[in-house]
Amino acid sequence: MARLSIRGLHKFYGKFEALKGIDLDIAEGEFCVFVGPSGCGKSTLLRTIAGLEDVDDGAIDIDGEVVNTLRPRDRNIAMVFQNYALYPYLTVFENIAFGLRARKTPDTQVRERVGRAAEMLGITALLDRTPRQLSGGQRQRVAIGRAVVRDARLFLFDEPLSNLDAQLRDGMRAEIKRLHQEIGKTTIYVTHDQIEAMTLADRIVLMRDGLIEQQGAPLDLFERPATRFVASFLGSPQMNFMPCRLERRDGAATIVFADGRTLAFGAERSADLSAHEGRDLVIGIRPEHMSRALPDRPPAAGAAPISVLVDLVQPTGTRTYAQFRIGEVEVTVELPAHIVEHPGTTIDLLVDMTRVVLIDPKTDKVLSNGTGETG
Amino acid sequence: MVSGGGGSAVALAPGRLADRNFKYYMIFPAVLVILLIGLFPVIYTLIISFQNLTMMDEDTSFHGLMHYRALFEDARFWESLLHTFIFVAVALPAELLLGLAMAYLFLERLPGRQIFVALLVLPVVTSPIIAGATWRLLFDNQFGPINQILGWFAGEPVPIIWLVDPNFVYPAILIAEIWQWTPFMFLLLLAALSNVDKSQTEAAELDGASFLRTFRLIVLPAIWPVMAIAVLIRALDLFRLFDVVWALTRGGPGTSTETISIYAYVAGFQQFETSYTAAMAFVVIVILAVSITLVLRRLEIDR
Repeated sequence: MARLSIRGLHKFYGKFEALKGIDLDIAEGEFCVFVGPSGCGKSTLLRTIAGLEDVDDGAIDIDGEVVNTLRPRDRNIAMVFQNYALYPYLTVFENIAFGLRARKTPDTQVRERVGRAAEMLGITALLDRTPRQLSGGQRQRVAIGRAVVRDARLFLFDEPLSNLDAQLRDGMRAEIKRLHQEIGKTTIYVTHDQIEAMTLADRIVLMRDGLIEQQGAPLDLFERPATRFVASFLGSPQMNFMPCRLERRDGAATIVFADGRTLAFGAERSADLSAHEGRDLVIGIRPEHMSRALPDRPPAAGAAPISVLVDLVQPTGTRTYAQFRIGEVEVTVELPAHIVEHPGTTIDLLVDMTRVVLIDPKTDKVLSNGTGETG
Repeated sequence: MVSGGGGSAVALAPGRLADRNFKYYMIFPAVLVILLIGLFPVIYTLIISFQNLTMMDEDTSFHGLMHYRALFEDARFWESLLHTFIFVAVALPAELLLGLAMAYLFLERLPGRQIFVALLVLPVVTSPIIAGATWRLLFDNQFGPINQILGWFAGEPVPIIWLVDPNFVYPAILIAEIWQWTPFMFLLLLAALSNVDKSQTEAAELDGASFLRTFRLIVLPAIWPVMAIAVLIRALDLFRLFDVVWALTRGGPGTSTETISIYAYVAGFQQFETSYTAAMAFVVIVILAVSITLVLRRLEIDR
C-alpha cells in the first residue's frame, strides 16, 4: 500500500510539452482514475509514475521517497498494459510467475501464489496454455494476474479494457472494482471512457492538454463541473450547451434564447444569479434533466416549460433520445420509451432549472452550478 | 453451393479443370529456366567429375570415383576446408554479436540515428574486391595507417607485416570480413528488434527482470526466425568466402589462408584440372546441401 504525491511534474517530447505541471496526491488504498481525451497526457503521467518515461521537472514521491531516478524495477509497481503485453513464448503460469521468478522467489512459494492469483481470476484451467490460445478477456485476466501476484505497492492500469468488446468490458470493469475492494491496494487507472471513470473511481482526475482540469469524487465532478470541458466530458449523452442571455423578467432570472424562447429560474436560484444578469452566457442542460410536462399536474418548483419540435428520435430500449433545435443548436433530451415515436411531433418539456449550469462563454468557466442532487 | 446450383456446377466442371491446369502452364517456363540454370549444371558437374577432363586432355571416358579418391588424399583440399571452417567459426559469431550489440544501440530513437545507420551500412554496399583492396592498403606494413596508428600507441614504429606474418594474417582477413558484413547482421537484427512489442519489454522491466532474462525469455524468441535466417545467409556466404581473401593474400602466404573457393578456383581456372575441380565442387555441394537441410529442419521444429 502506498501514498503517492506528485509535485510540479513536467514532461517534454522534443518541443512538445506533454505534462505542463501536474500536482496530485493519491491516498493509501485509493482508486484513482485519470481520464481525458486522447493526447491529454494521462498515459504519459502513468508512465512517468511507472518509471517508463523520465521526467523533465518535478518530483514523484511514493511513501515519502522521491523515486524520480529509481529504475522501474526498483519502484515495486505493477502495471497492466492496454495490449496486455503478455510474454508470447511463455505459458500462462510462467507469465504470471515472471515477476516472482525475476525476484528469485522460492519455487514452492511461486506455485502457491500463482495458484492463488489464478483462482481469484478464474483462470486455473488455462495455466498450461500460451497467450496465443487465449481470448481477449482471458488475456486480460492473465495480465491482471501478473500484476496482482506480485506484492507491488502500486497498481497501474493503462486503458486495460479498451481492446475488449462492450459486453466483456462491463464484466471486467465490475471485476476490477471487486478486485480493488478485496486487495485494497492503491490503484491508478487510465481511461478515455467516462463511464469507466465514473463507475470505478474513488477519485477522478480529469486531464486536458497536459494539465489537470478538475479532480474529485465522480459525482462531485458530474454535478459540480468547474468548466465547460468537464461538464461536456462526463455524462452520456453529452450535456447540451446553448448560447443565451440572462435577464430579469417578472422578478425572476430568466434565460432568453436567440429565437425569443425563455426559461425562468425559480426564486432560490434567481437570487444567486443577480450578478450575472444582462450578460451573454452559455447554458448547459443535461439530456436527463428535461422531462415531459404532464398537463394535469402543475410543474415542480424550479421547473421551466418549453415547447419543442422533435426532428430526430433514437430509441435505445429503456430510454429514447429525442433531438430538437433551439436556434441553431441541436439539443438532445432523454425520455422514457414510447413518449415520442416519430420526428415532427411537438412536445412540451419541463427543464429542471435547479440542475442547469451557466458558463461564461469567454473563459469557459462554470459561473453557477446546479443546486440539486442527481437522483 | 446451394442444392439448386447442381446443374450449373456440372456445366462448370470442365472449365474448372482447365483452370487448374492453366496455372501449371503458366509456371512451366519459369520452372524450365530454373531447372536449366540450377539442376543442369549440378548434373553436368557430377558427370564431368567421373571423367578426366583437363586443359590438355578431352578424355570423356568413365573413370569412376578416381577423382574422389584423389580428393580424399589431397591434404591441400582438407586444409582449405579447415581454413574455411575457421573463417566461418570466428566471423559468424563475431558478426552476430557485434550486429546485435549495434542494433540494440540504435533501437532508441536518438537524434541523427538515420544518418548513422546509413553510414554504418556503407560497407555492405561496397564491392568486396574493392573493400579487400582498400584493406590491403590499410594493412600495408610500410605505408599503411594501421601500423602507423598502432605505432603512436606503442611509442615506436610497429613493423607488423600483416598479410605475410602467419600470426597476423588471419586476424587481418577476419577484421576486413567482419567490418564488411557486420552491418548486414545489424540491419536485419535492427528490423527484428524494432518489431518486438515494446510493452512486453516494459512489462518485464516493471516485473523486475534483468536485461539478460528479458533478452532470453522475451526478445530472443521474438527475433529468432529473422536471426536464424540471417545467420544461415551469412554462414553460406562465409563458406564460399573468396574475394576478401583473394584481394588480401590470394590464399597465402603459401596456401595458409586458402579457402575451399580459392582452391577450387585455382585448380579449375589456373591449373585447369577440370574434372578434379568438378569432383571438389560436388563434394562442397553435398556438404552444404546436407547441412542446410539439417538446419532448416531444426528451424521448422522450433516454430
